[in-house]
Amino acid sequence: MTDVMDPTISVSKGCFVFKGTSSAKNSGATKRKHNDDNVSALRKQMTGQPYYSTYTATWQKLESHIEALQSESYAKTLEDLVTYVKNECSAEGNMDTYDMEEIVPAAALLTGVNQPDHLEQFATLTQRILQKMSASVCMLQSRDCATLKSAVETMVYNFVENAERSPPTELEDEDTEQREKKRLRRTQCNMRQLLNWYRRKYIKPQLQTGSEVEDAADDVSDACESPTKSYSKRPHALVVILPDFECFNTAILQDFILMLSAYYTHLPFVLVFGVATAVSAVHNALPYHVTSKIKLCVFKTLTAPVCLNEILERVILSPKYAFNLSGKAFKFLTHIFLYYDFSIHGFIQAYKYCLMEHFFQGNAYALCANYTASLNRIKDLTHEDIESIRRLLSFRPYVESINDCKRIIAILTDDSYLKKKLPQLLRDCHIHFMLLRIFLEFFTVLVGDLPKCPLGKQRRELYSFCLSKELRDQPEFKECWQILSFMSKDEFVAKISKAISVTEDFMSAEIVGLELANDCMTTVTSKFQALKALLTRVVMAGTEDKSPTNTAAPTTTPATPESSKQQKFTSRQDLKDHLLQMSKQQNKPTSEYAQAVAQTLLHIQNEIVVCHLAPLARAPPLHELFVFSDVSTVRRNIIGAPRAALHMALNNPHYYLQCKCCQLSESNQLLATLPDLSVAYKLHLECGRMINLFDWLQAFRSVVDDIDNEQEQVDPQIQARFTRAVAELQFLGYIKMSKRKTDHATRLTW
Amino acid sequence: MEVFNKLNERFPCRKNVLKTLTNLIGHSEEMLPAAIHIYGHTGTGKTTLLKNFFNESIRRNKNKLNVAYVNCVESYTSRILFENILEYISGAIADDIKTENLKDFVEKLRRIQSQPEVQYIISLDNAERLRDMDANVLPSLLRLQQLTGLNICVILISQLPLEKFYCKTSIDDPITIYFPQYTKSETLEILSADFKNAQKLIVALLNRKKPEDLSTKLEIVDTVTREFFNNYLNLFLGVFYKACRDLSELKITARKCFTFYMEPILDGTVSMSDVSRLWRCIAGQLRTALSQVYIRSGQPETPVVNNDKEILKVAQSLELPYYGKYLLIAAFIASYNSSKEDKRLFVKNHGKRRKRLQNVNANAKVTEKMNTYIGPKSFSVDRLLAIFYAILDEKVGLTCNLLSQISTLVNLKLLSFVSGENVMDGTSRLQCTVGLEFVICISQVVGFNVRQYLSDFN
Ligand SMILES: Nc1ncnc2c1ncn2[C@@H]1O[C@H](COP(=O)(O)OP(=O)(O)OP(=O)(O)O)[C@@H](O)[C@H]1O
Ligand SMILES: [Mg+2]
Repeated sequence: MTDVMDPTISVSKGCFVFKGTSSAKNSGATKRKHNDDNVSALRKQMTGQPYYSTYTATWQKLESHIEALQSESYAKTLEDLVTYVKNECSAEGNMDTYDMEEIVPAAALLTGVNQPDHLEQFATLTQRILQKMSASVCMLQSRDCATLKSAVETMVYNFVENAERSPPTELEDEDTEQREKKRLRRTQCNMRQLLNWYRRKYIKPQLQTGSEVEDAADDVSDACESPTKSYSKRPHALVVILPDFECFNTAILQDFILMLSAYYTHLPFVLVFGVATAVSAVHNALPYHVTSKIKLCVFKTLTAPVCLNEILERVILSPKYAFNLSGKAFKFLTHIFLYYDFSIHGFIQAYKYCLMEHFFQGNAYALCANYTASLNRIKDLTHEDIESIRRLLSFRPYVESINDCKRIIAILTDDSYLKKKLPQLLRDCHIHFMLLRIFLEFFTVLVGDLPKCPLGKQRRELYSFCLSKELRDQPEFKECWQILSFMSKDEFVAKISKAISVTEDFMSAEIVGLELANDCMTTVTSKFQALKALLTRVVMAGTEDKSPTNTAAPTTTPATPESSKQQKFTSRQDLKDHLLQMSKQQNKPTSEYAQAVAQTLLHIQNEIVVCHLAPLARAPPLHELFVFSDVSTVRRNIIGAPRAALHMALNNPHYYLQCKCCQLSESNQLLATLPDLSVAYKLHLECGRMINLFDWLQAFRSVVDDIDNEQEQVDPQIQARFTRAVAELQFLGYIKMSKRKTDHATRLTW
Repeated sequence: MEVFNKLNERFPCRKNVLKTLTNLIGHSEEMLPAAIHIYGHTGTGKTTLLKNFFNESIRRNKNKLNVAYVNCVESYTSRILFENILEYISGAIADDIKTENLKDFVEKLRRIQSQPEVQYIISLDNAERLRDMDANVLPSLLRLQQLTGLNICVILISQLPLEKFYCKTSIDDPITIYFPQYTKSETLEILSADFKNAQKLIVALLNRKKPEDLSTKLEIVDTVTREFFNNYLNLFLGVFYKACRDLSELKITARKCFTFYMEPILDGTVSMSDVSRLWRCIAGQLRTALSQVYIRSGQPETPVVNNDKEILKVAQSLELPYYGKYLLIAAFIASYNSSKEDKRLFVKNHGKRRKRLQNVNANAKVTEKMNTYIGPKSFSVDRLLAIFYAILDEKVGLTCNLLSQISTLVNLKLLSFVSGENVMDGTSRLQCTVGLEFVICISQVVGFNVRQYLSDFN
């Protein structure tokens, strides 16, 4: 629990150093002044804070929600996979390879390329298999399989060891197992051991009960049936999971599979491959003489973007949670996901990081909770917290909007007065965000599937768009509106009514149980009532109006009366006149229908888009308590930029060291007090591609050694320090000793 | 002789081989040959036949025959091989079979107190692996009878002929037995012997699905005759034999397709005698099965609709993060252009290339060896990143997330390291392993024209 707040949880591969230092700096220097020596006391102090408890409560709710969602979405595939495994191990299930005792059943699970997430998935799979059937499961990762030997050792060790760890079913077995445990060393593990272990543990007990029958049957039964018999003798499956199939050395993998197939007569293996790319990877890795020893069944999980969308829409954008991300922050996180790594795990961790940052801003942020919970928190606010509320950006417009001098003073100075005001303010915020979410649903249906999707088609895109910009003024928005107004009547009516019904469904599914739901619902229903009224007018308009509705989209319904009329024309002239008339009508700028549509759209724009899908700048006062928008901090802390960080560290050590001696007035200043490495680095920045070591040394010396003694021999101590600094630079990959030119180093970076 | 008859019945078309085997090792009273080498293509029944042969022989005379059947794939050290053999032969448990080396092994064998009439057979599957062990292992094994003084025979089973076993130390030539591949008629005969199993498969599937009229369906399955099955096999082989000669492959596919063949009959839509209509029903399915032969991929049973194509399509399409795609494209460009061309391709105002006649001539000659046909060349990480930044319109930071994409691509085997896997200074060299088609496909997704940047195409 205590380390939940610890921000050094790895988010992506290989950026720990920077992250750790910078966030330590962050929390240490700017946020809270604390002594390093009583960290644990500090922890206690931190965990006691209201903001912390709100944070943990929120995070726990979010996390369990996400987990539930994920297990739900994996469930189907996992279920299929488990059924397959189970089937293959039953005597009936693998009739298709009956009497072919060399063919190992294998399942390929296409997991998608977001590798960081796979292990969790396979852990769930393992659990499910263990629940559903008698089996041992061994997860074999490519890093354990550098050679066939280590692969076998790891596998056998895991099988035997796991089985021992689980509570022994029969008491009498216990001491033999104990003995076995003592004897088992990893290097001694081999297939023979596994076979013996398996026989002792799973076959002998069976034989003891039914041995005589078996023996009798042995001679009598038709020899053809021996395979079945051997199957029925194998009650316990051995499932081998290779979670990262692509990473395996193919030669070893081939041998490994051949070996399993050779033992398949005695040991009922089932293979599960986690394939990140495509099934073809299996065929690329395994030549025919190996694939002929397995039978492969392919399973697919949802692709990572689909999963992410689900999490975003069902959890992160859920109206249940008071915490929101600003449009930018939201976009930033999804951007990392879509552009860089497809890692859902990484996304969730980044989101968690934002959550931490948000609450860490102070106890005032403990108000970011359910409405009732936040009401309870109000009375605990200290003067300091109230002050921090007053400092919020949106507080100022709020104060300015009050036109009573006394009240302004009271709000600015009297804490208890502000506390009395807070419930109303918080309520407004809550309702604002709930309405935003509700109308987002409406808006998504409205513009999500327009041709070319000017605003984007996913809720997430629309969400970040709405929050960051004034929608009405955007060209994309205007384009959407234009497309909508050009729609045929049927389409338009269908679209709006669908949007309404979807929104109503959403409300009854997600909003109803929440606090303040009624207030939201009344607003929504009143707006929808007006909208529905307008919509009926649109419907009516079409039937009254005889002229074709608009030029872009010809509709069929109004055209039919015309066609019947057309047959009555007797002369050409008549027809011509009529056509002329019609074309005039067409050119008439607004038909009744178009007017109705325009009115509807205007209503939507003014009453829904402008009111409720407002950018953050127009959000109610104190919305900062509910919205996290500090993208730059997050960016700095969760995206590792090693090059930039190293440069910063070497160029300006003060940034990380926070020492008094290294404060620089300008970035390229050289001080004797700087670390040697830093001095050498800064000097090397001034050089060209080739660096003369002697010149470098002289420059170095002139910086660190303030006595001006050009002629004298270089102090060996300084030379040693220089040599070390150069070696360290080389280690960091900035320079390389040149082979072409003696006593020169080559710069490797620019 | 009994053994021979039984096996001959169970494994048709192996009469000659079986006869030789019985003559060599089938008589319990006689002295065994020192060594036998058995070879033949995959799927010719070497493993199955010998295993069954031994099982039957042991059943006949229990105490007089001792067989070790060991697969050499597992023997990453010779020690494991020896211990495995010893465990089979002496029937002892781990403790007393600790064997350090060949000498130990021979010594242990010698010490087995045996009555003269007991026979020992050591049979080593995938024997070609023995060549990778210490040089003395293979020759000594072939001479084991002489070394131990037991009535022992070593059988090597391999897909390779004996010539491939010759090494520096000469070996005594063992007796060789060749398992020839089956002809078409032989295949037919063997498959037809599989009739009972195909029938069982259908019964098992029916039992699992549990349709309403299960009992009537089971009755129908019961009435299927051998003749009917042979007819089906004729159709089946007509389609498959051109593409596939591998017996186990054929066996599996024949069983699977037989369930499809039976489907209309079980539904009652087609009668069993209406061969031409049955053929029409099965033809399409045979064709899809043919396209999947050797792939051996089944699907989970729940999706009832037969959407092979769908799954294949989805499986072959690959999803990558946006920058991952660009990195892959950049890698491809780096692999198939020479670095000399980079400046011309990526720098906007590189100065006009003067077309001299010489140049044109040279170009004409070069077309014969287009870069994209030659295969990927290696490139450094630095160059990869440079090209990546050149082809990407936006500005992105050089972050860990980006760099870790490179390692992800390597993990996915889309790129591979040529050298310097553990060096971090950007000079390690990579290679792109995907083909032009693949890259064109990916670049279409992100709306990028690769050809424009390949020196082959402009
Ligand atoms: N004559 C036969 N009659 C019936 N079935 C056969 C016959 N020959 C081979 N088979 C079947 O073909 C399949 C493949 O045989 P097996 O595995 O013994 O081949 P192999 O020669 O050992 O191949 P590899 O060299 O790849 O190990 C087995 O399922 C076996 O039952
Ligand atoms: Mg074999």
